[in-house]
Amino acid sequence: MDRTLTNFIRALRNADVRISTAETLDALSVVELVGYTDRGALKRALSLALPKTADEKAAFDVCFEQFFAFEDIQGELGLPEPGDADDADDGMDADARGGEGGGGGGQQAGGKGGKKKRKPGGDQLRPEEPEEDLGPGEMSEAASPLGQLLMHDSKVELSVATAEAGEAVGIREIQVFTQKGLFTRKIMDQMGLADLNREITDLRDSRRIPERRLGQELKRRREWLREQVRDYVERQFLLHADATGHRLREELLRKVKLSNVEQRNFRLIQEVVFKMAKKLAALHSRRKKVFKRGQLNVPRTLRHNMAYDGAIFDLHWKSVKIDRPKVFAICDVSGSVANYARFMLMFLYSLEEVMPKVRSFAFSSDLAEVTDLFEHNKIEDAIAKTLRDYAGGSTDYGQALSDFRKLCLDEVDNRTTIVILGDARNNYGNPRTDIMKELYDRCKRLIWLNPEPRNSWFVGDSEMRKYLAYCHQADECNSLLHLERVVGNLLRSVQ
Amino acid sequence: MAEPAPDINQITASVESLKTELEAHRYICSDQIATAVYLAFHLRKPILIEGPPGVGKTELAKTTAQMFDLPLIRLQCYEGLDEAKAIYEWKYGKQLLYTQVLKETLDEVLQGAKGFAESVRRLHEFGDIFFSEEFLEPRPLMKALKSETGCILLIDEVDKSDHEFESLLLEMLSDFQLSIPEIGTIKATKEPPIVFLTSNNTREISDALKRRCLHLYIPFPDVELEQRIIHARVPEIPPELRRQLVKFIHELRDLDLKKVPAISETIDWARTLLLLHTESLDPQLIRDTLNVILKFQEDIESVQSELTTLVQRVSK
Repeated sequence: MDRTLTNFIRALRNADVRISTAETLDALSVVELVGYTDRGALKRALSLALPKTADEKAAFDVCFEQFFAFEDIQGELGLPEPGDADDADDGMDADARGGEGGGGGGQQAGGKGGKKKRKPGGDQLRPEEPEEDLGPGEMSEAASPLGQLLMHDSKVELSVATAEAGEAVGIREIQVFTQKGLFTRKIMDQMGLADLNREITDLRDSRRIPERRLGQELKRRREWLREQVRDYVERQFLLHADATGHRLREELLRKVKLSNVEQRNFRLIQEVVFKMAKKLAALHSRRKKVFKRGQLNVPRTLRHNMAYDGAIFDLHWKSVKIDRPKVFAICDVSGSVANYARFMLMFLYSLEEVMPKVRSFAFSSDLAEVTDLFEHNKIEDAIAKTLRDYAGGSTDYGQALSDFRKLCLDEVDNRTTIVILGDARNNYGNPRTDIMKELYDRCKRLIWLNPEPRNSWFVGDSEMRKYLAYCHQADECNSLLHLERVVGNLLRSVQ
Repeated sequence: MAEPAPDINQITASVESLKTELEAHRYICSDQIATAVYLAFHLRKPILIEGPPGVGKTELAKTTAQMFDLPLIRLQCYEGLDEAKAIYEWKYGKQLLYTQVLKETLDEVLQGAKGFAESVRRLHEFGDIFFSEEFLEPRPLMKALKSETGCILLIDEVDKSDHEFESLLLEMLSDFQLSIPEIGTIKATKEPPIVFLTSNNTREISDALKRRCLHLYIPFPDVELEQRIIHARVPEIPPELRRQLVKFIHELRDLDLKKVPAISETIDWARTLLLLHTESLDPQLIRDTLNVILKFQEDIESVQSELTTLVQRVSK
């Protein structure tokens, strides 16, 4: 099995590209055909086999650049195990152990300037440390394995060594960004930093100039290596951990109470809403229309016409028309519930593809239709406008219901689902349950979503007990998870 | 392109040779497209091609057919396409006719049969004949499977078909076989077809279908590539005009239009300008020929107001 490729696919999956096992196999045969030698060709070939939408292609491009920046050469060269290095001995060295815990190695490297001066691939290092200038000249051979590796001037070999050390310390397990420093240090240790440090110290005290020169050179290169390793860790972090963290956050957001969502998370939650909506849309858009067309359902037709003495005039077709749900959403937008209304509306309108007939109404005391607002504005703007225009006033469910009745009772028919979102706290006003009954009788389903937990439904000025009798379904709904479940049910129940 | 019979092995040896050969057939393409054909040929996987209309999705299939010197079988998808139009249909007329013939000779057949059971047995021998390949009318998908020499199968605008049809395709695309209940499974001949599917993205293609295909997205080409395309398609056009024309089209694509001009429109326009013996672009000329590249009145109107600035930018 090709490790590099499977790792790459793991990274891709992390970046939200859906790849099935079958596609992994395809990718393997693609690689067999194209080989790892030409990076451009490999990228083009894999981009045909793995990502399947424009979004995924973009994600693929980013991922490929990051992943194969290092790994494209892995496995092509037989290199000495970097493990040899730390077999030698594990002497104590102040420099390596100096930093404590996370961030140690990183900060040290950051503290010493001049590391960016090195151009890749050559030895155009410019000496600029305030140390004695020894001028150019011969240098003695480095003794420690890492030192030799550094003096070899082979970026490829160093890359491979870094990657192997990274494997050895389990860089793929990196989870949060605070671990970056820790992993940098671990990788450096794994590569044999201790030996190198000792060698540098020894060389500095040496009497021979070539050796001192080597000491300075090694020191410079050590800083450069540290920088490289940090870059490597950074990339690996982006590949492996960022998505995990992102997913973790999304997972949390689904469960968190919507009223507690902070402003800064709105963007992310919007993403989550769209993602959920897309999932639901994909799930339910499969079955579609087709009616009075296609093939005659002979058995059914014959059966149904037996009563007419076999004269066939009541035809039945194999496919049937499925009605799209007609949904009326009535949202309480008064202060306490406004946030829930925001996400509920966002959700409903993200489902436009499968639920084209959503009409929405907002009220705190008086009720008004806001469907137009949503049709002509972007969802976020429409929500903001709705909240601005209707959120004032004290809640009056009775008034809202009678407004609704006046406005569009006639349009409620037996295919309509009415969703009411609110806490049913009516300030001890008239609940007008008679209208609720009327709606209940006319519509297909009446669903009440209450953001309050079930045990506080019957306390205080809540009219939930009275309304409950006229709901087909009443649910607690205060997180995205609830919302998804409710909307999922909504779609299922109408098909 | 009167070349000696193309040697398929030689053409498909590498991506570069494929690209050169495609160019020899006047299809100028990016490496990405050539790679797609290369992989499709060697892995025998269908290619799903997506992209805006008019970037040469269908043309790629046609050119590939020419290049390999294989027959092109085309299935144009539309709403309501079903297996009777895509895979096979029974020859009802022939079946009916034969039933009539059988009816007349029924006495002969049944002569000497002892008892009802034997009569039925004799009749059963006929039953299967009516549902054999003799009575089968192959439609494009079936034709492609049965083709002896191999062929190019083009399933055009698959997004226009229904979801059900997509599912019908799955068996064909993954295993190159089709199942007919009355006969059994029909497998591809030794040379399975190379399949191209095109889609204009009017709706999402299902994951199951995508999984079975290589996915190629053809975007609008960059200026340089489009110039080469125009050069290949309309070689007579002077280079300076070609440069201006392509640049102008690219400017148009940046505008907010209902339908942006595609490569096919660029080619049409180049031919138009050639016909009018134009040397370089000027606003009046563009105004007169704008209807070649823009297909909506409101687009034409919105471009006309900005025409002078556009032309200035282009003629630099």
